[in-house]
Amino acid sequence: MPKRKDIKKILIIGSGPIIIGQACEFDYSGAQACKALRAEGYEVVLVNSNPATIMTDPELAHRTYVEPLTKEYLEEILIKEKPDALLPTVGGQTALNLAVELAEGGILEKHNVEMIGASLRAIKVAEDRLWFKDACRKIGLEVPASALVNNAQDAMRLCDQLGFPLVIRPSFTLGGTGGAIAYNKEEFSEAISHALDMSPVHEALVEESVLGWKEFELEVMRDFRDNFVVICTIENLDPMGVHTGDSITVAPAQTLTDKEYQRMRDAAAAIIREVGVETGGSNVQFAVNPENGRMVVIEMNPRVSRSSALASKATGFPIAKIAARLAVGMALDEIPNDITQKTPACFEPTIDYVVVKIPKWQFEKFPGSDSALGTQMKSVGEVMSIGRTFKEALQKGVRSLEPSTPWRAPAETPDSLLREKLATPRPDRIHWILTAVDRGLPAAEICELTKIDPWFIHQIEELTAIHRRAASVTVETASKDLLREAKRVGASDEQLAQIWKTTPAVVRLQRARYGVSPVFKRVDTCAAEFESFTPYMYSTYEDEDESSPTQKPKIMILGSGPNRIGQGIEFDYCCCHASYALRADGFESIMVNCNPETVSTDYDTSDRLYFEPLTLEDVLAIVEREKPAGVIVQFGGQTPLNLALELKRNGVPIVGTAPESIDLAEDRRRFGRLLEELRIPQPRNGTALVPEEAARVAGEIGLPVLVRPSYVLGGRAMVIAYDVNTVQEYVAQAALMGPARPVLIDQFLEEATEVDVDALADGTDVVIGGIMEHIEEAGVHSGDSSCVLPPVSLSPKILDTIRDYTKRLALALKVVGLMNVQYAIQRDTVYVLEVNPRASRTVPYVSKATGVPLAKIGARLMVGRRLADMKLPLVHSNGVAEVATHEFYSVKSPVFPFNKFRGVDTILGPEMRSTGEVMGISTSYGQAFAKAQLAAGQKLPSSGTVFISVNDRDKRQVGAIGKELVSMGFKIVATRGTAAALHAAHVACEEVYKVNEGRPNIVDLIKTGKVNLVINTPLGRESFYDEKSIRRAAIRYNIPCITTLSAAHAAVRGIHALIELQREVACLQDLHRNRVAASGSPGNGD
Amino acid sequence: MASNWRSAETAQLYLNRHKIPVIWDIDTRALVLHIRKVGALRGMVSTDGTPADQLVYEAKQLPLMAGQELAGRVSCRNAYEWQKGSIELATSPWAEQMGESGASPEATKCKVVAYDYGIKQNILRLLVDHHCEVTVVPANTSAEDVLALRPNGVFLSNGPGDPEPVTYAVENIRKLAGRVPVFGICLGHQLCGLALGGKTFKLKFGHHGSNHPVKNLLTNQVEITAQNHGFCVDPDSLPSSEVEITHLNLNDNTNEGMRSKTVPLFSVQYHPEASPGPHDSHYLFTQFTDMMKEFASPGSSRG
Repeated sequence: MPKRKDIKKILIIGSGPIIIGQACEFDYSGAQACKALRAEGYEVVLVNSNPATIMTDPELAHRTYVEPLTKEYLEEILIKEKPDALLPTVGGQTALNLAVELAEGGILEKHNVEMIGASLRAIKVAEDRLWFKDACRKIGLEVPASALVNNAQDAMRLCDQLGFPLVIRPSFTLGGTGGAIAYNKEEFSEAISHALDMSPVHEALVEESVLGWKEFELEVMRDFRDNFVVICTIENLDPMGVHTGDSITVAPAQTLTDKEYQRMRDAAAAIIREVGVETGGSNVQFAVNPENGRMVVIEMNPRVSRSSALASKATGFPIAKIAARLAVGMALDEIPNDITQKTPACFEPTIDYVVVKIPKWQFEKFPGSDSALGTQMKSVGEVMSIGRTFKEALQKGVRSLEPSTPWRAPAETPDSLLREKLATPRPDRIHWILTAVDRGLPAAEICELTKIDPWFIHQIEELTAIHRRAASVTVETASKDLLREAKRVGASDEQLAQIWKTTPAVVRLQRARYGVSPVFKRVDTCAAEFESFTPYMYSTYEDEDESSPTQKPKIMILGSGPNRIGQGIEFDYCCCHASYALRADGFESIMVNCNPETVSTDYDTSDRLYFEPLTLEDVLAIVEREKPAGVIVQFGGQTPLNLALELKRNGVPIVGTAPESIDLAEDRRRFGRLLEELRIPQPRNGTALVPEEAARVAGEIGLPVLVRPSYVLGGRAMVIAYDVNTVQEYVAQAALMGPARPVLIDQFLEEATEVDVDALADGTDVVIGGIMEHIEEAGVHSGDSSCVLPPVSLSPKILDTIRDYTKRLALALKVVGLMNVQYAIQRDTVYVLEVNPRASRTVPYVSKATGVPLAKIGARLMVGRRLADMKLPLVHSNGVAEVATHEFYSVKSPVFPFNKFRGVDTILGPEMRSTGEVMGISTSYGQAFAKAQLAAGQKLPSSGTVFISVNDRDKRQVGAIGKELVSMGFKIVATRGTAAALHAAHVACEEVYKVNEGRPNIVDLIKTGKVNLVINTPLGRESFYDEKSIRRAAIRYNIPCITTLSAAHAAVRGIHALIELQREVACLQDLHRNRVAASGSPGNGD
Repeated sequence: MASNWRSAETAQLYLNRHKIPVIWDIDTRALVLHIRKVGALRGMVSTDGTPADQLVYEAKQLPLMAGQELAGRVSCRNAYEWQKGSIELATSPWAEQMGESGASPEATKCKVVAYDYGIKQNILRLLVDHHCEVTVVPANTSAEDVLALRPNGVFLSNGPGDPEPVTYAVENIRKLAGRVPVFGICLGHQLCGLALGGKTFKLKFGHHGSNHPVKNLLTNQVEITAQNHGFCVDPDSLPSSEVEITHLNLNDNTNEGMRSKTVPLFSVQYHPEASPGPHDSHYLFTQFTDMMKEFASPGSSRG
């Protein structure tokens, strides 16, 4: 049957902000769905609150709504757009939950909207653990014994029946949030109450443990004709007990016999049929008991998932794109396979290589959190690697992470510690396994401790044996065969250099002499059986190279590697935009990246894709093969930037801002001198290598100071120090951490307002892309701060100063492309905090807010085009050109992963900890702020009690805020000093204890649900602990917590808007069209 | 090394025991790409250091596959009974629900004579699973001798090489067709094609692997199938009044299955029994037993 004609307009729900467990894989799948449905001739309406996504680019859907993902806003969009159908299966759990809410609330029926891709019943059966288990049993499949509980007493009774260990899974949470494994009653009782708290329906599943069993996933698809295919099998190296998102995984499955695999395949088919997923993709998870082959079904996702994104990248089969087509009534055999073009999508890809996925964790950002891995996902990103063998893929995967070489435990590590490290899965376990194998611990013992399948351990043993053979020779005496063998199992030049106590360059030279260099093979879905038309490549050490580079003018873009806090989807967005723009301009674009979640690693995004680690060695190999006219390193964040100078030294043509300029901006001394020359103020600063020096420098600057290591992204390990001891301790710690790189010490500007500026420059002209005012106070990392564009409280004079500084900095640094500057404004003085002559985290947000695609323009400037030719909608002030802003406000707010890290201090500071962002748009600043807060999961109250505690400076102004709140019907409670200030301003309020003053105190009030909003501006060090516990309680109980007076003003305006204004929604296309019409010039340089 | 609860010995020992040479550590993609470009080739494996030129020369002396009668060479010499069913994994209580093991134990047994042109054991196991009493006979057994065994159905097995030279088999099938239900797989399918008046031809590099999409034209559903054949039935050569094309390969639109419009006979080019391989096409065995029951007592088994 051809596609459906009875539906014309389809609404797609995106997955919202990036959070742990739901990252940019849903931008990838959502963007694919948009493109596929558009290509089939449907009108696509999209809603997603996350501006950093490719899917919210105005070109992707016909109507794009950056609005909060709540039932109420969705209904507004349904009323406005009147779509015929809703596709809920490409936006992760968020979209699925929202769709269920809309369906169960009768809203879809009311507006005559059909759910396609999955029926309400199918979603419920797959998602409800009991229903799902019943469905499995009905078709004769085994599931782990279990029961649902909704109170602690029942749960305790249950554990007597089932015995330990037990798995606890809260119902309806993302990425296993709130899940745990309990080995005894105490653990169980704590875990069950947490799980019940986390579950929106106060329900949890208590389950027989299948810990240590082999874990598998099948990515499957089904169409309306009941055609069923398995796209990919994935085996978890880490057995059951570690969340699949936190496991090292391998595709295809390596340790199943065909009998076992076919049984699993049949079971997956039976499940998708029984659950009733009639069209689309699903993911089914199984556990297999290694002792006797008993197979149980673990769970099923009736939608595209993190694993399906991985499977798509691993096989070249675009699951989301096909799922979207199936949802509109096409059959699998009616859709061609993109890669072979001549054969249909109704087949099962053949994989003649091995894919390894390794998660990326950042526990260092959450001191105090437990790094043990369990059923709740804690990783923030992942890398994927492709090799012809498991060994090669594993080593390539390890080096795709940063740092890029496997480390060895110190020789003196006792075996007992080693055993403990093997038994408890933590992020570094693979390194401990390497150490254990290297040390000769018997494979059987390693298997027993880790429960990892012996086949994997055997592979690692073989790997280690080759390393050992390498260690018995030197770089000069190594034979060609040995060198080739080492490279064939994926050893990097850097690893070999470590073994041979030389430099990677020497290893490289030796390889060149022997002619040991990689070839590039294609991912073609069919193991070379058919011709492939999509150049999707990976390197390996074999005989035949299949890359066949073209002679076209080409630009290579280095991506950003695994998602991290501070280096996430925003940089991938920039890389994709560079590729789109350059392709449109006639260049061949070549993407290099190793992150399977991203749009950049979609083979559709660039002309050619190399799925490779972003290390010097791997990038040089591609450059040698492709010989690009230029390489872009400035769009992928710190990862490619760190390679810039070395690449240039090796003769690679870096385009855009010179690596030397980037280096200059990072070098405090040289950059300080430049600012002095330009007469642009910066906070007093210095550097120190040892504690004594640090004390002296801090003394000269004056406390408080900001201390941090050099070369950082996302503010890693930054602190604000209020005393000299802290400074000294920090420097001593930093010296322990790594090679002698100086610690940076800056004057901390208290009570300042921060401003972010994104700008474009071509060496002659400079255009300000956007000026963003931070809503939180200076000292909160810019990535963790809400901000608004255009600014709301900066005077024209200040703005002109900012424009002037930005222009002069761009010219002085000879910026060609994008630049980001961070300013702090303290008492009418504008200080430069940081200049980054590269793409920044805010580029996508600014682009969505203004309608001017900064990254595309930046990329064009880098290949020689001029700003003057771009026809941008500009205004001029103080002799500086600036992208014209709109009649509306765009507020960006961060989203934090604190609920995943229990016991962690949630106070915001100079260390970035947010994983994602949302945007609220409105003609009123208040409503824009309220929308952003709502989209970020912080619902501003429209009635109830507000707690206020402010510092002395803010007490002068707190009265106004109090009055407004009271006039809107709020009750106010305040700490003693603030209460006095409020009373003085004739605002009625109740006094409440601080934490250390007695009970019930403010934290008690928060915990008992008696506070609906917290306004707490920091008083400095003396009240640090009080504030910490207030914030922690607020976040735990999901109560909005405002930390600056400017944010409080914004919140008050937001509440006003909530109470008085109609909910309004607007799509980007309309918003930008209005501006274009007003300014009379086209929107961008496309 | 072994890592499975069912493992009895390592793959290496097993292969040694059966004296099967193994090739590894070569660029398999380069090999596949080469064959894709130039078509199926004669080859030679050597470990004794013979120069490549010499090996190429020797390989060129090897007879071409087309025109050779290979089935007779690999067939059993004497008839035998087969009783073993499928290997059961530890637990598969769902097998019944999924139509794996057919009807209840007391179901009527069908007597099947299976021609061995190079038969795969899993075909025999699946026939037993589907309640067949199986007698395997050599490739050159006459139709008369087969009918003398009074079978409910005759199965034509897979086998190597070119179907055209296996003329005796074609003759036997012509005699059997209409007298007893016939089901053919792979070479058995090609032989049916010839027996029904069609022609076969050689594919450039054949079909191999376990992921070929085959469309059942009667149900419009796609089966994922295992395939291993170098020759193919030309559907245009078949008399359309007598033969209905039932299955189509979606990768290259070649014929994958047919049935007679006049006699109880059907056959498929691919391997529904494949192990390793997907189970999507196991229904064909049920179709065969249904056909046998229908033939034995027309009109009684449906309902």
